[in-house]
Amino acid sequence: MFCEKAVELIRELQRISDGQLPAFNEDGVRQVLQEMEALYEHNQADVNETKSEQRADLLPSIRLRHCCLLRNQRCVGAYLYDRLLRIRALRWEYGSVLPANVRFHMSAEELQWFTCYKKSLASFMRSLGGGGGLDVTQDMRPPKSLYIQVRCVKDHGELEIDDGTLVLLKKNSQHFLPRWKCEHLIRQGILEHVVH
Amino acid sequence: MDPSEVEFLAEKELVKIIPNFNLDKLYLIGGDLGPFNPGLPLYVPVWLALNLKQRQKCRVVPPDWMDVEKLEEMRELERNAATFTPAPCPYYMELTKLLLNHASDNIPKADEIRTLVKDIWDTRIAKLRLSADSFITQQEAHAKLDNLTLMEINTIRGFLLESLNCMYKLRSNLQPGSSKGPLADY
Amino acid sequence: MESQSYLPVQPGVCMEENFFSLDDILLSHQRLPIRTEVSFPRLGFLEKSSDSPDIPMGTKMELPLWLSKGLYEQNKRMLSVELPKVYREGWRTVFNADPNVVDLHKLGPYYYGLGSQMLRFDSPENPEIAQTLLQTFIGRFRRTMDSSQNAYNEDTSALVERLDCLEKTLFVSGQCGLNSFQGWEKGQACQLSASSLVLNYRKRKITDVQS
Repeated sequence: MFCEKAVELIRELQRISDGQLPAFNEDGVRQVLQEMEALYEHNQADVNETKSEQRADLLPSIRLRHCCLLRNQRCVGAYLYDRLLRIRALRWEYGSVLPANVRFHMSAEELQWFTCYKKSLASFMRSLGGGGGLDVTQDMRPPKSLYIQVRCVKDHGELEIDDGTLVLLKKNSQHFLPRWKCEHLIRQGILEHVVH
Repeated sequence: MDPSEVEFLAEKELVKIIPNFNLDKLYLIGGDLGPFNPGLPLYVPVWLALNLKQRQKCRVVPPDWMDVEKLEEMRELERNAATFTPAPCPYYMELTKLLLNHASDNIPKADEIRTLVKDIWDTRIAKLRLSADSFITQQEAHAKLDNLTLMEINTIRGFLLESLNCMYKLRSNLQPGSSKGPLADY
Repeated sequence: MESQSYLPVQPGVCMEENFFSLDDILLSHQRLPIRTEVSFPRLGFLEKSSDSPDIPMGTKMELPLWLSKGLYEQNKRMLSVELPKVYREGWRTVFNADPNVVDLHKLGPYYYGLGSQMLRFDSPENPEIAQTLLQTFIGRFRRTMDSSQNAYNEDTSALVERLDCLEKTLFVSGQCGLNSFQGWEKGQACQLSASSLVLNYRKRKITDVQS
């Protein structure tokens, strides 16, 4: 049956439902586009024959191929769109710099889209708060205090805080740091929030 | 809504404190606070009360309803009534947690209060589920949510809205042609 | 507990489909038994059992829902669609007797979704099908709700096993409300935590290396 390749793309995403981004299936997408080309050409030929030789009996097959064209279009569209939703989520989970193993799974166009999204989010955040800017990816839940106790889960080098002092983030060391400096590092699993 | 956001809203409720320091009136966007005089009770938002308490700058006076006898009465009332009785306070669950966690030394019989409030909560949630079920089985079109608190509604909101949506769609199936779109999706 | 930033396109419930919803695409991929009422020239290769270059009129075969729907809405004389067994009178009697005993996952898993879609094909049984769908949902609601609200962080796979896809979505959102409340009660709500997505990535990296 037609459109099996296209549904395979959808299944691929459905299998990983937590939002992880599987490698871009360039081969799969290409095969769907090839099938669409073939369907289109067959239909063109049949349409011409219908007209020139009054072959109205060809119409059901033309209709069937047309349905398949639209179905393929829907599947590829949904595949690309769902991937964009996942890529957008990465900006909020990881911050603006993605690890290499995540970036590796994106196509060139997706990388470009991510850069554009990053930029427009950044310029939106700069425009907030009367010129001072506001990081809307911070304080996703109402904060309780300005400083929090954290423990390093792994070595992460030095971190500069507001007053210019440097803190060495060494595995298993504990620190009392400004919350806004740590929130992203906690999300990325580098620090751990210690609650008493 | 995340429960922490509901708690955040609850922190705007006023609570009586007795400060042990001197401070002039503060003029803030959210309203004026103070003046603070040692030993003189005044009302402040819960967030400030807890902050002061943590720094040992005040004593918290528990709200009137946070009292074993009153809560026992309410628990009986709640258990016997078919509908929801008025909650002790619109944020009774959040305030109980906040005040008991941070100022339990100022609240007499803190443990008993904790258990009582939990009992009231459980009774109300069981009722909420029961009425959600009869709402669905009887295919009602609207319901009154009188006397329910934000936190209570919040725990069931997502589930109930989705269920009602499903039921609405399944019901509209009964009217032939009503929801048939003009075009098929492929 | 985790505020998730990846929000997939939600399926359109019942008769409406959401164009970009992955669930709806898979739902419409369910195959239906049909009989062709015209001949489809030059597409014989789609019907494996014959060597004819065409699909002749009167062929019994299976087509996915999306294709049956697409052809049917264009012209109702191109094919006739047979009702899948679960929606026929025999099963309807079973559903009406006690909707809680049936394993909708096994029979579905898109019992409500596919059933609602079947209403698009004019059939004299449509009113009864629609009624059974609604009554089944209502009859099973209490159980769906109770299991989603009482499973205190327990392994829920046994409960979820017998639910249809639609009920499963409800179950998950019920659990979500319950879990976030319980997390708050335990004081976990104010604790910042690592992104589950990041943690899952890390897990996968380790298994990649191992395999």
